[in-house]
Amino acid sequence: MSTDSAPLLEVTDLRVHFPTADGVVKAVDGSTFTVRRGETLGVVGESGSGKSITFLTVMGLINRQSARISGSVRFEGREILDASADEMRGIRGARIGMIFQDPMTSLHPMHKVGDQIAEVVRTHTDKSKSEAHRMAVEALREVGIPSPETRARQYPHEFSGGMRQRAMIAMALVMKPSLLIADEPTTALDVTIQAQILELIDELKDQFNIGVVLVSHSLATIADVSENVMVMYAGRPAELGSRDEVFSDAQHPYTWGLLESVPRPDIRVERLVPIDGAPPSLITLPPGCAFGPRCPHARTECTAEVPELRDRGAGHADACILATEEKGRLRAARMKALGVTT
Amino acid sequence: MASRRTHLALLGTVSLVGVLGIAACGGSDDSSSTNTGSDTTATDGGGGDVLAASDTGFSTGSPKAGGTYRIATPDLGFTGGFDPSAEYLGWAWGLQQQLLNRGLVGYRHIGGTAGTEPMPDLAESIPEPTEDGTVWTFKIKKGVKFSPPLNREVTTKDIVYAFERMATPSVGAQYPNYFTMIKGFKEMSDGKAKTISGIATPDDQTIVFTLTKATPDFPYRLAMPASAPIPPEVGKCHTKAGEYGRYQLGTGPYMIKGADKMNISSCDAQKPIPGFNPTDGITFVRNPNYDAATDSKEQREALPDVIDISVNTNEKDVFDKVQAGELEEAAGLSVPPEVARKYVGDDTLKDRFRSNPEDSTNYVTMNLAVAPFDDIHVRKALNYAVDKQAMQRAWGGKLYGDLTGHVIPPVLLDGDTSIDPYATENSAGDVEKAKEEMKQSAYDTNKDGICDAPQCKGIVYLNRNYGAYAKITPILTQNAAAIGLGLDVKELPTGPAYETLQTVKNQVPIATNARWGKDYPDATTFAVLFDGRNILPTGNTNYSLVGMTPEQAKKLGIAYPKTPIPSVDADIDKCNDTAGEDRIQCWKDFDTKLMTEVVPWVPYMNALHTNLLGPAVTKWEYDQDAGESALAHVAVDPSLQK
Amino acid sequence: MGRFIIRRLIWTVFIVLLVSVLTFLIFFVLPSGDPALRFAGKQPTAELIAQARANLGLDKSLPEQYWLFLKHLVTGDEYGWPGLGYSFHTRDAVLPELINRARVTGSIIIGGAALWMLIGVPVGVISALKRRTIWDRGLMGVCLFFVSAPVFWLALLSLLIFWKKLHWLPGTGYVAFAESPGQWFAHLILPWCVLALLYAAIYARIVRANMIDVVSEDYIRTAYAKGLSPRRVVMHHELKPALAPVVALFATDLGALVGGTIVTETVFNMQGLGNWLLIAANNNDLPVTMAVTIVVAAAVSLLTLVADVLLAAIDPRVRLQ
Repeated sequence: MSTDSAPLLEVTDLRVHFPTADGVVKAVDGSTFTVRRGETLGVVGESGSGKSITFLTVMGLINRQSARISGSVRFEGREILDASADEMRGIRGARIGMIFQDPMTSLHPMHKVGDQIAEVVRTHTDKSKSEAHRMAVEALREVGIPSPETRARQYPHEFSGGMRQRAMIAMALVMKPSLLIADEPTTALDVTIQAQILELIDELKDQFNIGVVLVSHSLATIADVSENVMVMYAGRPAELGSRDEVFSDAQHPYTWGLLESVPRPDIRVERLVPIDGAPPSLITLPPGCAFGPRCPHARTECTAEVPELRDRGAGHADACILATEEKGRLRAARMKALGVTT
Repeated sequence: MASRRTHLALLGTVSLVGVLGIAACGGSDDSSSTNTGSDTTATDGGGGDVLAASDTGFSTGSPKAGGTYRIATPDLGFTGGFDPSAEYLGWAWGLQQQLLNRGLVGYRHIGGTAGTEPMPDLAESIPEPTEDGTVWTFKIKKGVKFSPPLNREVTTKDIVYAFERMATPSVGAQYPNYFTMIKGFKEMSDGKAKTISGIATPDDQTIVFTLTKATPDFPYRLAMPASAPIPPEVGKCHTKAGEYGRYQLGTGPYMIKGADKMNISSCDAQKPIPGFNPTDGITFVRNPNYDAATDSKEQREALPDVIDISVNTNEKDVFDKVQAGELEEAAGLSVPPEVARKYVGDDTLKDRFRSNPEDSTNYVTMNLAVAPFDDIHVRKALNYAVDKQAMQRAWGGKLYGDLTGHVIPPVLLDGDTSIDPYATENSAGDVEKAKEEMKQSAYDTNKDGICDAPQCKGIVYLNRNYGAYAKITPILTQNAAAIGLGLDVKELPTGPAYETLQTVKNQVPIATNARWGKDYPDATTFAVLFDGRNILPTGNTNYSLVGMTPEQAKKLGIAYPKTPIPSVDADIDKCNDTAGEDRIQCWKDFDTKLMTEVVPWVPYMNALHTNLLGPAVTKWEYDQDAGESALAHVAVDPSLQK
Repeated sequence: MGRFIIRRLIWTVFIVLLVSVLTFLIFFVLPSGDPALRFAGKQPTAELIAQARANLGLDKSLPEQYWLFLKHLVTGDEYGWPGLGYSFHTRDAVLPELINRARVTGSIIIGGAALWMLIGVPVGVISALKRRTIWDRGLMGVCLFFVSAPVFWLALLSLLIFWKKLHWLPGTGYVAFAESPGQWFAHLILPWCVLALLYAAIYARIVRANMIDVVSEDYIRTAYAKGLSPRRVVMHHELKPALAPVVALFATDLGALVGGTIVTETVFNMQGLGNWLLIAANNNDLPVTMAVTIVVAAAVSLLTLVADVLLAAIDPRVRLQ
């Protein structure tokens, strides 16, 4: 993989708060991470953990009138959090491509697929209609859609689910952006198709040397294609590190829970354990560690203050106040209780 | 509303009121009645062309000939397509008699009793009958021509043809019953003869009617438009009911616009006259063949050059336009109470609101064959109990009707209003007198003046379900309850209400959905309602079943009451056989007998016909016969029109 | 598509027949009085009533009467094709008057419809785009007013203002286009506006609701993610899906109005089909009632067909089956 030293995307202490009649919804409350070219950042969290909002904010798709946004988002070395609407339009679709969960509803049902892709070209360049169309066909070809000329003239409802998502990817990449944000790209797809799409994204990442953000609610989805992993909980990163670090030496009890609830080939788990309880209200977060009320290992200190994301070395950071050794013990005990054999 | 129109069973007069929610009748109105307007005599009228206004007429400035007299009506709801053979709408009669076609006999077309006196029109004179009143010989005037494109002189054969049309069932004539006493008439209508044997034409100027019995009111019957001459050349092409209405040619001062352009070379060549279209209206223009010398100014002045009748479905709009001078008059509509009040209360306007008797009677009818109304004391008691004044208020107050205590409208009795056997103070009803009467009834078992037998409860009371009719319902229900009569109200739309009432088997005990108006200005047109021989299983108009015999009841499949039903058939025959002063007196006696010995009704009001005259109207008369504006005597000043 | 249209045309014929049978039955089953009675004079003898019945063709059995009606409808009668007989009320052939009145009603509806679409759609779109602003609230308030204002009151009021007080427009009544296009237009402006205000208000509310639904669709988020300008998103991505359902509604409304502009016609004194139906119903005028209901049924059915074809052209997901 390429190892450009300058990060492609650098987010620091991003906060996105929505004032409502019931109080301020702290959808994102101090998110910090980086994405480099040629790297995939896997972002994992339950729904409501702030992962989607984080990247919609990066895209500039959060209405600034309805949200209070602070922190820093640097993209290709430029601060874009305070960029003008025009500047952001120039970045969206051209420099950052984004695909979404359900390709059925994300493609416009009344426009031809080729036209929808060509529209991106026409918006960001002054290429002719036919040139834009040619590029759209080319993009469809690149994502592995057979007979792309014919497909370009068809409507989304004539595509299968996997094909639609491929078309979405073609649309996101037609301008050869440097960053692709994939927000739960496989959730709505058949299991057999999921792997194909992930593989495709991984291939394209290498082919075009782009940075990829892969948002998912499941660690399993991102496990094979992510270089780095960020686990989010209640609008904040709970744990952040390389894939290998996080999977083999998870530090946050929430990550443990996620790992235990996922079948993995390298860790044979006899039964899958869901995490007890429900995510907290983002308006009235529990005091201190937001995961505290659901954490089997919580203690009184946990409620004292919001735990900082602390680097444990080698870029592996977590936001749990427990000492590393104690966590090792607890983790081992849990594994044993589950009858895990390594 | 035209009098005939209101009691025809199935005329649609609810439409606008229903849709627009504009109340047709308001509350009470105590302004003085304007039956007789101030008669401003035309002092310097156009060269003697214009007569002075009658007692009930209106005239201002110097009425002159010329101009267009504009009228709007919500619906040209003709009952026979304006075909003179079939047409039965009073307003249409007025148009045909005064504007389009001259019959043997006509009227002056003014208000009051003077307007109900038959006069020779096409006939040189009204003859005395011979052979015990059964033979009538008329001579017609020379030089009277049909309008273009026909252009020929009228002969008595054209009159014969008019009668033959009435005796031809497919034509759909609606009042041949007035002519069935002509010898041979029934034979022809039954298909047993090709002509009517009782009508002869010794020459083109003479016509002789031979009747099967003396008929003193024959001249009145001849004044009805169906008996006016019809040219067979055109008429024979149109023997389907109502069709001739759009092809008619006549002898009057006007013709339907475009009639002269009609191609009469063959039946197939004839196209409807463009000036009459039921959707848009009807326009009359001068008939170039009309010679005023053959007519009398008394009957027709024919002042406007054009009379234009347009359809306007917006009642409010119509009266706004009349007030603004964009129309001269409304037809087929009663003046809204708020407009009437405005005019009556303004000295400069009050002469332009006209209110005249339409010679009709509003009444409560009681069924003599059904308990408890089979007891005359109950019927008399109700006559005392009814608050007629409240009912008058329901119809809009004094501007819209005169109170009455008897059956036949005063104009038909030479203006007599004295018959009122159940008079009460202010006509507001008198419960004490009613109770005194009720005490004599078998249905008041304990003699306390309150009807208390089981038959006194749940008496079905039929009425219409809208407008002033609906306002009558609570009044009668309350008045009846005061003497123990419990009415079970059943309200229906106009058509179904009539059908229910006119089907004898239904045995409707009491009803207020019907009204009655004259067909021609003689009381006999009211007497038919009480003629036992007229009782029919359906379409019956003798609602009270006066004169019904036990045999008739059996045939009709209804029970005959214990108390025998009185009959006035002999009285009717007697009056029908008399003439002149005696005849009027006979009808007065008949009316008195009806109200004291039979008591089939609680008559409460003689409706008044209201007209509103626009600012450009300079002369106006009321046609007592048609119960409408007399267009033969109106004038308009075009400089005042908008 | 050809087969679809043919199938639907056959269906239309079926609907028209069904409506005609129902109208026919309602006419005879509901107690509205015997039409023959009014043609038999004031003192109808049994013979006169029987004659009037025979003249009106009411003496035959019900199936026979309906059969004759159908036969004339298909093969024509003495007044032309389709044979619709003559009115019990005016004693005039139904067909030529139907054509005359259809012109009047057509003029009212087409102008009114064009106007209400021109007003209703932009208002709905603007309201949706300016959602929760003073513009939105103001426009929707006005719409609510016109939706709930009685048409006859609006009509009378507009006449009072523009004709009586300001003298800007001629009064009531209809002038044929062939007679004077200027007068035709001048007489129709108010009816158009009155009709258009009501429907524009209804349509604005529908368009606004549709737009708001569409705005939260995933594909709109996609459009923004593509870097499109808000203007382009609205014009190219939001309008089409928001307006597609309105097309179907529009067609049905147009069809229903063929017999449903009664109040507008009555107040503005326009002798159209709605007015005629009212007069016919009040006068037991069977042939006219049948003719107008058939025209309305056919209009609704055919316009729905047109709407379906249009919708299929707009929305590729819709298949004509």
